[in-house]
Amino acid sequence: MIDRRLFTMPGIRKTLGMLAVLITLQAFSVLFQGKYLSMSIVTLWQQKPFVAVLQTFGFFLVAFVCRHLLTVLKNYVVGHWVEKTVTTLRHDVLKQVGALGPKIIQEKGTGNTVTLALEGIDKAQTYLMLVLIKMFDMMIIPWILLAYLFTVSWPEATFMLAIYPVVIIFMIILGYAAQAKADKEYANFIRLSNHFVDALRGLPTLKQLGLSRRYATNIHRVSEDYRKSVLSTLKIAILSTFTLDFFTTLSIAIVAVFLGFSLIDGTKALLPALTMLVLAPEYFLPLRNFANDYHDTLDGKNALGDVLDLLSRPTLIDNQQLKLEQWNTESHLTLDNVTIAYNDNDEPTLTIEHLALQGYQKVGIIGRSGSGKSTLLNLLGGFLAPTNNEKQKIMLNKQPVEHLQLQAWQKQFQYIPQTPYIFHATLAENVAFYAPDASEEAIILALEAAGLATFWQNLPNGLATLIGEGGQAVSGGQAQRIALARAFLTPERRVLLFDEPTAHLDIETEMNIKKAIIPLFENHLVLFATHRLHWVKQMDYVLVIEDGKIVEQGTPDELASRGGAFVRLVADVNQLGGVK
Amino acid sequence: MQTIIKMFNTDKWVLPYLRRYKKLLALVIFLGFMTVFCGTALMFVSGYLISRSAQHPSNILLVYVPIVLTRAFGIGRPVFRYVERLTSHNWVLRLVSDLRKKLYLQVEQRATTIRQEKQTGDVLALLADDIQHIENLYLKTIFPVVIGWLLYLSFTIFVGYFNWAFGLLMVLLFGVITILLPLISVALNGARSFKNRQLQHEVYVSLTDGVLGLTDWVIAGRQAEFVEKQTVLMQQQVKIQRQDMQFTWWRDFILNLIVAGITFVMLYFGKVQFGDSFFNVNYIAAFTLAIFPMIDAFQGISAGLTEIPTHQASLERMNSYDDLTVTAPQTATVDQAKVLDFKEIIFEDVTFHYPNQEQSVLSHINLKIDRKGTYALLGPSGAGKSTMLQLLLGDLQPTSGHFKIDGYDLETLQEYRHDLFGVLDQQPYLFNTSIMNNVRLGNLTATDDDVKAAIAAVGLRELVEKLPDGYNTVMTEGGQRFSGGERQRFALARILLQDAPIIILDEPTVSLDPITENEVLTTIFKLLADKTIIWVTHHLTGINFANQVYFLDNGNFTMSGSPQALYAHNQHFKQLLDLDTGMIN
Repeated sequence: MIDRRLFTMPGIRKTLGMLAVLITLQAFSVLFQGKYLSMSIVTLWQQKPFVAVLQTFGFFLVAFVCRHLLTVLKNYVVGHWVEKTVTTLRHDVLKQVGALGPKIIQEKGTGNTVTLALEGIDKAQTYLMLVLIKMFDMMIIPWILLAYLFTVSWPEATFMLAIYPVVIIFMIILGYAAQAKADKEYANFIRLSNHFVDALRGLPTLKQLGLSRRYATNIHRVSEDYRKSVLSTLKIAILSTFTLDFFTTLSIAIVAVFLGFSLIDGTKALLPALTMLVLAPEYFLPLRNFANDYHDTLDGKNALGDVLDLLSRPTLIDNQQLKLEQWNTESHLTLDNVTIAYNDNDEPTLTIEHLALQGYQKVGIIGRSGSGKSTLLNLLGGFLAPTNNEKQKIMLNKQPVEHLQLQAWQKQFQYIPQTPYIFHATLAENVAFYAPDASEEAIILALEAAGLATFWQNLPNGLATLIGEGGQAVSGGQAQRIALARAFLTPERRVLLFDEPTAHLDIETEMNIKKAIIPLFENHLVLFATHRLHWVKQMDYVLVIEDGKIVEQGTPDELASRGGAFVRLVADVNQLGGVK
Repeated sequence: MQTIIKMFNTDKWVLPYLRRYKKLLALVIFLGFMTVFCGTALMFVSGYLISRSAQHPSNILLVYVPIVLTRAFGIGRPVFRYVERLTSHNWVLRLVSDLRKKLYLQVEQRATTIRQEKQTGDVLALLADDIQHIENLYLKTIFPVVIGWLLYLSFTIFVGYFNWAFGLLMVLLFGVITILLPLISVALNGARSFKNRQLQHEVYVSLTDGVLGLTDWVIAGRQAEFVEKQTVLMQQQVKIQRQDMQFTWWRDFILNLIVAGITFVMLYFGKVQFGDSFFNVNYIAAFTLAIFPMIDAFQGISAGLTEIPTHQASLERMNSYDDLTVTAPQTATVDQAKVLDFKEIIFEDVTFHYPNQEQSVLSHINLKIDRKGTYALLGPSGAGKSTMLQLLLGDLQPTSGHFKIDGYDLETLQEYRHDLFGVLDQQPYLFNTSIMNNVRLGNLTATDDDVKAAIAAVGLRELVEKLPDGYNTVMTEGGQRFSGGERQRFALARILLQDAPIIILDEPTVSLDPITENEVLTTIFKLLADKTIIWVTHHLTGINFANQVYFLDNGNFTMSGSPQALYAHNQHFKQLLDLDTGMIN
């Protein structure tokens, strides 16, 4: 019902302390409210003039107003704490996502991550707002009322005390059943939101396959599955509310009938009986309030759990002490016995026995698709952490590091992937993403260098045109050039990681762009994964990767004379094409 | 207020369903009413029972009816409540499924252009948020408000039956709670809730954009800014939410002050109406105690109505999707078999330019495609190759000129589109489901063996069988767990299963290494030897597979001919081919 981690949150104790005081005061207000209302009714029942009732009604009024004023105060106290906590949580989640990096998105899905950060935290907020007040209400109010009721009429009070644990036991039994169901429902909810985004992103593909219409049925089915699972949860979750409702309402009915009998016998007067009847619903009210929101709180509790789980994930520790000067001719990076696996128990997707990078080397990484070129770049970029192993040794400028997810290192390079992401922002903002302070002139120069001069000049609003999803359409080639423009704009980043950057470009454009890229190589450490072997001419060192291993490395000339994997690859390529 | 009424008038997402499911709606409202009625009646009867008993009636039978009623209402309330909640949730969730499907179909009509029109995050927000709001519109607004008003009506009539003057007073006092206060609520709080909804939406879109581009934020070292950017929006939201909550607290407080007033009036009414007769005084307790259970129901009205502006924003957005509707072209009456057995496709003087751009993407294109021919279409990116395919597929309509299949206008054959064309494009999408299911999307009737054969044909058998879950391995979002080349090959397997006469290859091998590319192309052309193939490519690997090569630049064909003839006679072509193949000497 309550996540223990809740009590470790900052400020919780003070809040709960204040809440307890306010609720105790409120319990007495409720008590007097019931007492004076009954007195008023009895006065009139005794056929006394209406003036006789004014004083007791005045007391009732004071108690009544106090009670509702205290409700407002309680909300303020808890609301303040919840707002602070939720703001912190949200901030921490975003920070955590930033710290965990692209890997977390790959693992959880875009939709899921966004849903967690927004919807999930919203649900957690509702949960926190509800659960604290309702729980404390339940822990304090009934007992103060009951103590008083014992002084009024002990047999009925005893009955009410006895029924309480019965209700609770039923609630707990049903609660456990509902909890398991709610977990499943939450998983369904997540699946549903990912499923829908998945369908929308894949819509063009579905349309090509002629399935897009039919897929609507699938959407409907998944949604219906969700409905069924919600309903089966509800049946139980509401059943526990029902039990409560049933027992409490019936108790009130029974108390009324009991009282009726003792009144007929003449063993009791009307006032205590009426007080009993008025306060009986109040006695059960906190429990009922708690149960009414039970379903909502289950959702919220799961969401909060998810958020806290995400926050407690270990992030790679960024070595703040690490001092890296700008990469220069003397800089070097060596990797020994490094392995990477997507999951810790999987076969390693890449094993590096030894790799030394130095100064402004131009390193070509070649190999067939899926051989591990991208994984190597992901490792070097710090997006993937190496699998822990004792023999591993990574040295960055003579300083040992555990991994490369280091801010100091990431500041040194530009990464140009196969499909760069274009933000929903202006062209200028997209190009200047890595150098937000860049001048317009610099941006224009970068665009020209990347071969986008005509492109931007023809845009309706020039540099200020919105591009990306929802904006001006950008072709794959243009997106790639925008990524290049980003690199042109940040010459101080002296390491360039290219992951098949020209794969989407036609041969003519590639040739044109190559002319622009080559000057960029100068005074840079270049790591260039590609299938297009003509790039090898621009490289002074080549890694050949096969099946997750560096099978050969050396200068192109060395490799050419060695007659190994490199020569085989070149021969295979040269054998293709041509006009027969 | 007027905008709300206007919105409800033009709405296509809520009202039609209210009308369609009238009877169920009536049932839900009846059950809800009975729940509150039983609760109120229980206190009413109990109050009477106790008061009457206190007069020491000579015979217990004199209070027998109240005793039975007390028990009946005591049991009735929870039972009605249980059934009501299940019925209403079931109904609303069913409705939500319909809405989701409806939304999807709306988006589907514009599948190829939707990415420019609506951001992915936008649509996600709509799903996760707006549709849920519709859910709440029913559960938290429509149902409680209707039930509350019904109760209001019944109770004032009941009091008016005894004394019309007090009945009128009750109309006024309860009216403040059920009508006046909610209206003030909506007026004061409406703008705020509306703003909150909009902010929420912005946050969604912004965060999705941020998360999709997370790699760039990380490398740029701008994580803090990424957080900051989202936080600014969220802070605004927090402030609005705080004001919103505080308003609600105080509104409920004022509501309760009015309840105190009502209690006073009720006591006075009891005194005036029943206070002078020995038998009637018992009703004083009955009426006074009945107020409190009712107030609970009335509280739902204020809360429910206040949320209307919130729903309004969602509804408006949902309705805006209706405006996207495209008109379907007319359909020709042609026999399917005849269409699939076509002889030639002819492009007649086709010109195309986007409505908002001056320059034509294609101008006066003429082309004849013979059955079973292989046509390669080349040119730099942006030359109009993809546009030409979109036109051919009917996703875009030519500004002037025609496409004909055996004399039929292609536009009129849209219903056969998927039987005619198989498409393998640059970025085929892999869904977050098993490999088996993904490939089977090509042909839903394919057996497991068919699927496995297709996967083997594209050279992925070894890879798939090495995976711990084999063919049941779930592809992660967008097929991320596989390399670009592998993703492309899975998509190819899908196309192989889809047995269409015309295959459109839209740069399908862009991300493959040359060796694999050649292998895949060999496979494609071997397996698809009896198909008509239109192959858009941006480099010349495997150009031998084509019968005819067309170079497109600036919307015109600049070169065309068989590859052999071009290589022999065209210097530019020869140069390009040499670049593309003989890079290492």
